[in-house]
Amino acid sequence: MQDTILKIENISKFYPGVTALNNVSFEIKAGEVRALCGENGAGKSTLIKCIMGVERADEGKILMNYNGEWVENTNALKAQSHGVYANYQHVNIAPELSIAENYYLGRQPKGKFGRVDWKRMYRDSQKIIDKFGMSVNPRQKISSLPIAMQAMVTISKISVSDDLKIVIFDEPTALLENEKVETLYKFIKELKNNGVSIIYISHRLEEIMDICDNVTILKDGTYIDTKAIADVTKDSLINMMVGRELSDIYNIKKQEQGEELLRVGNFSDSLHFKNINFSLHSGEIIGFAGLVGAGRSEIMRALCGVEKRLSGDVYVRGKKVDIKDPASALEHGIGFLTEDRLTDGLALSLPIKTNINMNSYDMISKRSIISLKRESERAKKYSKDVNVKTPSMMQLAGNLSGGNQQKVVIAKLLCRDPDILIFDEPTVGVDVGAKEEIYKIMENLIAKGKGIILISSYLPEVMGLSDRLFVMAQGRITGEFNLNEITDLNEEDVLKKASDEG
Amino acid sequence: MEKAKKTKLKGNALQQTEFTLGLIIIILFVAASIFTDNFCTLYNITNLMKQCAIIGVMAAAQTIIIITGGIDISGGAITGLSCMALALLQRNTNMNFVLTLTIALVIGVAVGFLNGIIIFDLKVPPMIATLGMQTIVRGFVKIISNALTVTGINQHILNMGNTNLFGVLPVLAIFWAVVAVAIWFILKYTIFGRSLYVVGSGVEVARLSGIKVRKMFYATYAAAGLLYGIAGIMLAARVQSALPTGGEGYDMNAIAAAVIGGASLTGGKGTITGTVLGTILMVLINNAGVQFGLNTHVLEITSGVLIIFAVTMDMLKNRKKA
Repeated sequence: MQDTILKIENISKFYPGVTALNNVSFEIKAGEVRALCGENGAGKSTLIKCIMGVERADEGKILMNYNGEWVENTNALKAQSHGVYANYQHVNIAPELSIAENYYLGRQPKGKFGRVDWKRMYRDSQKIIDKFGMSVNPRQKISSLPIAMQAMVTISKISVSDDLKIVIFDEPTALLENEKVETLYKFIKELKNNGVSIIYISHRLEEIMDICDNVTILKDGTYIDTKAIADVTKDSLINMMVGRELSDIYNIKKQEQGEELLRVGNFSDSLHFKNINFSLHSGEIIGFAGLVGAGRSEIMRALCGVEKRLSGDVYVRGKKVDIKDPASALEHGIGFLTEDRLTDGLALSLPIKTNINMNSYDMISKRSIISLKRESERAKKYSKDVNVKTPSMMQLAGNLSGGNQQKVVIAKLLCRDPDILIFDEPTVGVDVGAKEEIYKIMENLIAKGKGIILISSYLPEVMGLSDRLFVMAQGRITGEFNLNEITDLNEEDVLKKASDEG
Repeated sequence: MEKAKKTKLKGNALQQTEFTLGLIIIILFVAASIFTDNFCTLYNITNLMKQCAIIGVMAAAQTIIIITGGIDISGGAITGLSCMALALLQRNTNMNFVLTLTIALVIGVAVGFLNGIIIFDLKVPPMIATLGMQTIVRGFVKIISNALTVTGINQHILNMGNTNLFGVLPVLAIFWAVVAVAIWFILKYTIFGRSLYVVGSGVEVARLSGIKVRKMFYATYAAAGLLYGIAGIMLAARVQSALPTGGEGYDMNAIAAAVIGGASLTGGKGTITGTVLGTILMVLINNAGVQFGLNTHVLEITSGVLIIFAVTMDMLKNRKKA
């Protein structure tokens, strides 16, 4: 009775320096709820993009059974017309339009003379809203709704389409309130009963155990296995997702811990983190592990004055400091490599020279007049230190490749020469070679007596590099391990701490 | 070696813009000198420099604002206000001469600073904030002047407008040169100047790089206000009186000069050399055009085409690179 609806055949996708998908093949049946599991960077998102026709695979093909015919969705429009729908992680709706307008975007009910039949649109929208148990008015603007409600609107929007074949949910519950998760489950069951296939991606393994029929595991772009949910446990799933030894590239030279550089006490903001305490010493790397949204970046943003904090104290070398903005963080010797460094770390329209120097002009000027000679020297020195490949220091940052842009941002941080360095996901989107270079830089830094705070969602990295490891879940530190404990730690333990609900 | 040279040339797109502008100016200048009788005369050349001077100072103000990603269409109005305040103070009071000049400048700085507050703290887009400010200031000027032309400006100022140093160099043009050199120095050598480009490239980038963005916005618009104050004094000297509509239409010429000179309204790009050349070209087209006997309305169209052409070339260049 169950026919195959989607055949993924030997799909490979290459990005410069990275193999995102490597010869992946599997099938999905009609009316099946299939989970897609894997660590960050396992290739889930890329695979979804290929299924949606947003990206073309470099090798292999994806065939879809559309009313008995095998078709290939070579672009997003075709996928759409064949009833493939993706509910993306980042809420994709028009914020300045009403709920009803968003529901019927591009397919507004028409009345006489082709005008929009607003009455019918609002009436039908109200039905959807009732069905999903939302307490909103269809005339309300999306931007006036809380994020959780916006997420619910995007999910409920799916029910407007009538010719659905495949629906992809990418982390649908990340933004939802708990009671709405049940509503989502009910909706998924309804879709399933109508013969719609579901691809379900979530970091929360309990959800996968609750709602899915089968699970496919990806790791580092390769296909691992597909199992019936009845045949797996949470632990065996994690094992398949991770299942790998700490490799040598994380084996950097450890240093003796020196004086205390930084201490953070009772750090809280109103929303993302609560009562955070930690310290950092000279020559030390401390790691923060956890799931996306655990509050790790938010702590560092508050620490550096990028965002406001509610309460808590910061001590640099034992002295209490007041950090109001990123400028005062730099003055106190705290440098921050942000997660979105390509958007908020680089001035794309300016040359490499300016980019490298732009947070440290005060160090090479007298009475705020810059020494152009030292500016050039420093640009050359630091771009060489991190191995930026460019013909000239006047090259605009926007014209560099992604990897080189990454290096320019790091050069900029090093040029400031801070004692405390915060690396937020330093190796995301970076190939293995560049990863090793970044680790080398970190090794050199701690050898010079600097202290490093490393945030990484990639467990082998954060476990392999850290002298002390903090695990966070939902804004709280749920685990703290010293070097000896880390050595005995396995990734399953950390994942358990990271998904700690209490 | 060969390759490195090539990239260097390509990397300096701005210098290319400046080279092209310089070439066009020379060709136009030579052609007008050869083919018309009255262009290359002492009178016309000094006149040309005077025409450039006020727009040139205002264009310098636009340049620093455009580099930050903003735009200021209240510049003409503020210039008019400073000019009017100076004239009224000198006619109606016995105030010390230097003090009247200072007040005219302070007024420019104050209004500019207010622009900075409206744009940064109230988050009003620069175009709208300065449009509002332009209208407010214009109304204010008409109230304090009863919408009448004010004469009775101090003789020093009047003389300044008519004096040519060594018989060839108008004092007004010297003002322009000093302003241009000062801005050139600031943009090239000071932390403030460099930070302007970073702010224009992205406010968040600037903030995370430790630049105090709020201060930058205040300082930029206040500095522009100071330049409008200077332009206001120059306007009083040039017109020998203060008109209630003084400075009207100058903003657009100043913005055009900066844009033709390579400043980009998306921010992060622009040089004072480019702006100076852009100013000269704008004024030269009009001046030479009149000498060639072209209709002034046709020249207006020519200026408009030039603006669009300059920006299009800039866009094409960027696209090729991307």
